[in-house]
This record gives sequence, structure tokens and C-alpha cells, in this order.
Amino acid sequence: MEPILEIEAVSLQFGGVKALDDVTYHIEKGEIFSLIGPNGAGKTSMLNCISGLYQPTSGSIRYKGQEIVNKKPYHRTTLGIARAFQNIALFAHMSVLDNLKLGRHTLMNSGAISGGMYVGKAANEEIEHRKKVEEVIEFLELQDIRHTPVGTLPYGLQKRVEVGRALALGPELILLDEPMAGMNNSEKDLMARFILDMHEVMDITVVLIEHDLGIVMNLSDHIAVLDFGKRIGFGTPEEIQKNPDVIRAYIGEETVI
Amino acid sequence: MRNLFVRESGNYKTSYSDDMKLFGTTGAKVKALLIVLIVLTLPLFVSNYWIGLFTLCAIASVGAIGLNILTGLTGQISIGVGAFLGVGGYTSAILTSTYGISFWIALPIAGIVTALIGGLFGIPSLRLKGLYLAIATLAAQVIILFVISRWDSLTGGTAGMVLNRPTIGEFSLSTNTGYYYLCAIILLLTVLYATNLIRTRTGRAFLAVRDRDIAAQIMGINLFQYKVMAFAISSFFVGIAGALLAHYTMIVSPELYNFHVSIEYLAMILIGGLGSVFGSILGAVFITLLPVSLSSVIDMLAAFAPDLYQLLSAFKDFVFGAVIIIFLIFEPGGLAHIWLNIKKYFKLWPFSY
Ligand SMILES: Nc1ncnc2c1ncn2[C@@H]1O[C@H](COP(=O)(O)OP(=O)(O)OP(=O)(O)O)[C@@H](O)[C@H]1O
Ligand SMILES: [Mg+2]
Repeated sequence: MEPILEIEAVSLQFGGVKALDDVTYHIEKGEIFSLIGPNGAGKTSMLNCISGLYQPTSGSIRYKGQEIVNKKPYHRTTLGIARAFQNIALFAHMSVLDNLKLGRHTLMNSGAISGGMYVGKAANEEIEHRKKVEEVIEFLELQDIRHTPVGTLPYGLQKRVEVGRALALGPELILLDEPMAGMNNSEKDLMARFILDMHEVMDITVVLIEHDLGIVMNLSDHIAVLDFGKRIGFGTPEEIQKNPDVIRAYIGEETVI
Repeated sequence: MRNLFVRESGNYKTSYSDDMKLFGTTGAKVKALLIVLIVLTLPLFVSNYWIGLFTLCAIASVGAIGLNILTGLTGQISIGVGAFLGVGGYTSAILTSTYGISFWIALPIAGIVTALIGGLFGIPSLRLKGLYLAIATLAAQVIILFVISRWDSLTGGTAGMVLNRPTIGEFSLSTNTGYYYLCAIILLLTVLYATNLIRTRTGRAFLAVRDRDIAAQIMGINLFQYKVMAFAISSFFVGIAGALLAHYTMIVSPELYNFHVSIEYLAMILIGGLGSVFGSILGAVFITLLPVSLSSVIDMLAAFAPDLYQLLSAFKDFVFGAVIIIFLIFEPGGLAHIWLNIKKYFKLWPFSY
């Protein structure tokens, strides 16, 4: 297996806080990869470095062999990297459909002139991409709420739309920051099934941040563990469960693997 | 069988293109047609004076829709609209009066020149947001007016310039009615453009930039590009409005484009409804007709109490300010929102409760 993403010696500093400290790992193409660690360990900061919202103080991030550490966030999206946020960052006034269509922004072409006239290409494009968006709607079972303004939806559904918006890009790599946070068990199971399907049916490489270790151990091919910005473990679920540093970090948090 | 007396209630659309049509239902089609018909036959029913006022309303609507694309859709407040109207007006004045170029060529060029200058003054939006950006657009207002009033050889300085009404072949649009039709048609095109823009890729991106700029970047939106683009598109329509206004009043001079005009346009979109095309028109009509109706009320009162005339005239500015504040406090959604509520009320009528 070739790596799709290589994180090499990435450090990120905020004033005196080392959010990431010399972190190295890689993610293989087509796998489900989990990033775990206690609160404040630097997981979200890691995703921000990958999607370009934070600039690492030092280190290298390669996507499919290409250095992306200096690329702008919107450029990384065009490369096929999608992201669902931990704190839902949907466009609350827009419908589910429009949120998902925004997910396809980089795949569409119409501009201010053709779009404003809504003739020929621009009109066809809206319809053609609507079809793609409907595939995501069907996949995530959002049919009943496609025209609903996202802000009025319950939390669990908003989380699902957040994932849907990332999926709408048709990404090669999807970054999911706690997509199951705050969900009950049956909602979590459903989301876990969606993640498995993304991986198996759609062939997307998934990076998952999740605090429920049971789910993480079940879903993941590989796991990296962060603690105070340092990588304290990296390997298969079996290896992680045996890793004394990881056990210590988690027992410190009074969680048992 | 369709019952004409029953409104459609379910969702019967069977294809995506149906679902996405601008005038999806028969009702919407009839309504759109009716509005167009009223606008076009209006000159048959009202006096020349009112045609003049409606022309001003149409011109203000084009400018207000332009400003709403920037402020309502993209969330960037501009208080430089007055100066951009001036850029449009002066461009057309210089092209037609100094160089003898046809109005029909000068009008789009006025839009394009204003778009370019608007885009240029939009560059600070890369670093500035909200109030800070607003102050930067105030700088645009000051700089542009300074250039206009000092560049005598090009603009005629503080004296301004004189323009003519356009002609189509032999037919002159110098009558109020002729010019009204021109402005009404341009407003119609502006409405269609803006409505389509909002429901396609660029408009969605504008809204995304306004609501959540970080998420917008992750959607692959180049913030800088879209912010500057919003300035340019918005200024294009403001420039067109400026040119139309200049050929209507047949004069351009620096004091016609001062800060007060910028505030009036902001008031239009605030009162009409931020981000709403229809609201822009309502707001433009409201602000254009407000001083006229206030004046007639004052004239009426003055007939009974002549001493009050001075006092009441000073009152006009007060009422203008008060109306804006009242809207900001009680109906932030603007006239467009009030209109929506009225429609909702009648949809359920007579079971409104
Ligand atoms: N923009 C920022 N400015 C300053 N400090 C920051 C910033 N972003 C993150 N940090 C700090 O970096 C550290 C890591 O935060 P991060 O959000 O990455 O943790 P996390 O692992 O995602 O935690 P959680 O599980 O609670 O989501 C924290 O100490 C946080 O306070
Ligand atoms: Mg986090």
C-alpha cells in the first residue's frame, strides 16, 4: 500500500503552547485511519494543518507525494481533500441541498456572468450537479429534509449534513472531526455504517477523530495517538492496545481501553 | 383535474429542472407577468410627475440591488456607494459629452469602469472585515470625490458637466416616459441577473463567505477572489445606476455624490431587507418617495400653520433617521420580511389564527 498522506516532523506552536510537537505518521490509501487522544491533545490542530487553516511551525505534509504545506486551503480542496468540522460549520440559513452544493463548489464551473444569466451551461451544470448531490442525500438518508434550512435541524442530523457536505466533493481523502460526538448509540451505529460504506463502496480514505475507543478499535486499520501534542502511539488497533504509553495516557484520564 | 381555486399544496415536481425553475408554479408565472405588465403600462395611468419619480425609483433599485450583492450577500459593508455612482455618472458624461460616444456604448463602459475601480477599492477586504472595511470604503468615497472635483480638465471640477438624454435612431428618450421605459427594462434585467446569481455557484459562494469564511475556504472558495468579485459586480450595477441617473438629471457635479447618498443607499437595503432582491426594490422605492411624501404632508400642514413650515422642514431629516432606527430595532428583516408575513397571512386566510 502506498501512503496517501505523509506527516513528517510537524510542529505547531501557539505562543508558549506546543499544540503539535514533532509529529510523524502516514496514512495509507483506502484505509480508515483514526486520530485519538485526550481533550486538547492536538487532534483538531492536526486536521487544521492538513486542510491548511493552520501553518505548521515546521515539518512537511505530503499528499500523494506532493508537498502541500504551503498551499492555500481552497487549493487543497481542489486536490480532493474534504473536511467535516468538529463544531458544526454549516451555512445555517441555507437548505441541505445548497449546503451540499457548496461542497461541490470546486467541481463546478459557472461564474458570475454565466450563472447570472442562467442559460445553457450554467443551467445544465446546476441540474447535473444536483444529481450528484442527490446521490449523497440518498446515501446519508437525508431525502426528507433536502429543502430544510440546516439551522432548524436537530443536532444529530446537522452532524450528518456536515459529513454529507464533505462527501459531496467526491473526495479521495475525507477528514472527519468527531462526527459522532453527542450522538446516542443508534445514531453512532448509523454513522459508523456510513463511514464503513465510504471506505468500502466509495473507496475514500477516511481520517477519523473519535473519543469512543470501542468504535475506533472496530473501524480503524491504523491509529495514531496524540497526547499534549506528541505522538505517543502509531500502529494497528492491536498494537495500540498493547502500547504502554497509550495505556498510561488513557488511565491518566480514567478511561479503560 | 387541477382545481383553479385550490393552491398547490404538495410537491408535485417530477424532475430536477422543474424543481429548480425560477417561476416554477403557474401562480408564480402569472405573478411575474402581472408585475411586468403593470410596470410597462404604468405611464398610461399616472402623471408625468409620477413617471419621473418612478424613474428615480427604478434607478435607485438598480443601485440598491448592486449594493445588496456586496453588503447583503457577501456581508461587506460599503459606505462608498455615493462615489461609485459618481464614477458611473462621470464616465458616461465624459464619454458622451466630451468624446461624443453613443450612450448605448457609454452605459456598459460606465458599468465596467465602476466595476474595475470598485474591485480596486475592494482589495483591502483581504485583510479587513466589518467596521474596518467600512472605514476603508469611506476612504474610497473621499479619494474618488477628491479626484473628481480636482481633475478639472477631465471632469469640469466643482462646476460639473452637462449631459443629454439618449436616442434610439430617430426616437429620442428625452421624454420622461421614454426614459422611464429604459430604466424599467434595465431594472428588469438587473433583477433577473441578481436572482439567478443568488441561486447558482457564485451566489452560494458569496453567502458562504458572508456566513462562515473558514468553512467557505474548506469548500474550496478563494476568499480574496470572491470578496473582490463581489465589489466589482456590485459596483458594476451601481455604475450603471449612476450613468442612468446622470442622463436623467442631465447633470453631474461632485456634490450630487456625497456621503449622504452612500447612507441613503445603505438605508435602502437595510429597510428593504439585506440579501433580498425584492427587498432592495422596496427599500429603494421607500427611500426615494419618503422625502416627497414628507414634503407633501408638510405642505399640507403649512397651509394651516405657516409658522410651522420652517420647523417641519427641519423635521424631514429627523424622520428619515427615525425610520431607519425603527426598522433596525423592530424589523431587521426589512420590508421584504414584512411582505412575506403578509403573504403568509393571506395564504392561510380566512383561517389565519
Ligand atoms: N487557534 C489557537 N490559538 C491558540 N491555541 C490553540 C489554537 N488552536 C488550538 N490551540 C491549543 O492547542 C491545543 C490542542 O487543541 P486541539 O483543539 O487541537 O485539541 P483536540 O485534540 O482537538 O481536543 P478535543 O478533543 O477537545 O477536540 C490546546 O491546548 C488548544 O488550546
Ligand atoms: Mg478537537
